[in-house]
Amino acid sequence: MKNISFGQYYPAESIIHRLDPRTKVILAILYIVCSFVCQSAIGFTALIFSMLAIILISKIPIKTILRSIKPVIIIMVFMAFLNLFLVKGGVELTVWKITIYSKGIYTAVTSVLRVISLIIGTGIFLTYTTTPIELTDGIEQLFGFLKKIKIPVHEFAMMMTIALRFIPTLMEETDKIISAQKARGADFTNGSIVKRAKALIPILVPLFISAFRRADELAIAMECRCYRGGEGRTKLHVLRYRTRDFISMFIFIAFLAGLILINCFGVEYPFIENGWF
Amino acid sequence: MTKIKLENISYVYSPGTPYEVTALNDVSVDITEGTITGIIGHTGSGKSTLVQLLNGLEKPSSGRVLVDGTDIWEKPKEISKVRFKVGLVMQYPEYQLFEETIKEDIAFGPRNMGLDEAEIEERIALASSFVGLDEELLEKSPFDLSGGQKRRAAIAGIIAMKPDVLVLDEPAAGLDPLGRDEIFKSIVKYRNETGATVVIVSHSMEDMARLCDELIVMAHSKVVMQGNCREVFSNAGELEKIGLSIPQVTKLMMLLKEKGVCVDGGVYTVKDAVSELAKLFKIDH
Repeated sequence: MKNISFGQYYPAESIIHRLDPRTKVILAILYIVCSFVCQSAIGFTALIFSMLAIILISKIPIKTILRSIKPVIIIMVFMAFLNLFLVKGGVELTVWKITIYSKGIYTAVTSVLRVISLIIGTGIFLTYTTTPIELTDGIEQLFGFLKKIKIPVHEFAMMMTIALRFIPTLMEETDKIISAQKARGADFTNGSIVKRAKALIPILVPLFISAFRRADELAIAMECRCYRGGEGRTKLHVLRYRTRDFISMFIFIAFLAGLILINCFGVEYPFIENGWF
Repeated sequence: MTKIKLENISYVYSPGTPYEVTALNDVSVDITEGTITGIIGHTGSGKSTLVQLLNGLEKPSSGRVLVDGTDIWEKPKEISKVRFKVGLVMQYPEYQLFEETIKEDIAFGPRNMGLDEAEIEERIALASSFVGLDEELLEKSPFDLSGGQKRRAAIAGIIAMKPDVLVLDEPAAGLDPLGRDEIFKSIVKYRNETGATVVIVSHSMEDMARLCDELIVMAHSKVVMQGNCREVFSNAGELEKIGLSIPQVTKLMMLLKEKGVCVDGGVYTVKDAVSELAKLFKIDH
């Protein structure tokens, strides 16, 4: 259990780590838009290169990133197969009795590319380089305008911060309780489903008790420090946009504009029309 | 005879990630049968990790754990048998109580051992008498007990498995002096009546000096000293260097010796100190 670091924050020294969390939220959104704007082969080539560039700049090992793609591989394979066999158009290609089309191949490849860029984009900007606390702070400020229509943004952000803050604590607690019950011979891996579900009771009961106890203690501790919600509260770490934030946003907007331009002037399936297949 | 033997144990948390931490570094320890062995060390010195290796809750990254001469990881499927043999009371064990009554909670371990109901009843009675829990408390919910009572109930849950080795991680943490004395009394009683081996982890030098036959001192993921109380406490300077103290009474006797008073500086219990000083004044004590 110790191996699960929630939020997967990867501590490293990179320019992406140092960006303002608000910038990173915006960049993640821009990058998702980019991957959907892409249509031409040139566009997708640019997307692949941008992905590699972002990974290199973030200084996060490729291995870590591949691990985050692993859970969705099945979905990607499924998607690729559907596209491969169902999309018609372009040059026909018959192997044994199965007919596939060049357009099918193209959409299969591009849809997989889109999903990968989605995961890498959000992963690098949001989870790998930003601590959960920074992220909620950024989201709170980014959506601060919603306060005007009476949405308690600060309270939501506080709830999220507390929830995130306590995930590792509760995981550690769970770990301890599991060890303690194992020390008394509890068995969580063998037996029928009913038996295994029953084996969870000795973990869940103490875990709930301790979660409520912690919530109680935290509420009292906050009350003691006169916490009264967001009104008139100042921050310890004031978020400020710096030059690097503006530069990175400019680069992304330029990239998006470039992709749109390619779509306007570029040819959609160059190799199909040239008969490369 | 050696009951538990740790051979060149290393333990690394989260290997291969930026969070990698070495908790134990080439640790070798012998624990003699029938003794009370104390493990002392600073927070983060690896005590708790060491203790969890003894009953196979954690598997060492390298090295062997031998209980009664056999490697406990030889047959990983039978690791739960080791856990019945080496009973571990974790830190703040009262947070693990989960049943509706204390009695049922104590029965959890024996039931997992597959004992029959009559035997389980017997074990509950035995374990609760060891820790000094009144029979009327057994039918109560864990919520209705005081902190000290809950702690004793949790310890009874382990004792009910009649382990050959009883391992306790900070059994007295957060208890008042009375509660602490009661816990230690029941531990000593269990050892004396069953001949079991006991391992205790603690910060308190006074408690350790009073209870233990053997001491293991840990610092920076390593065992730095091992021996009986007298041997260990004679290295006062070294202990202080790693942030640990010696019992107050030993400190006093050493000071006296330094000032030229003819006493034994290696005394570590108040009782011995009294008789040592009585000798000085030629009073019969």
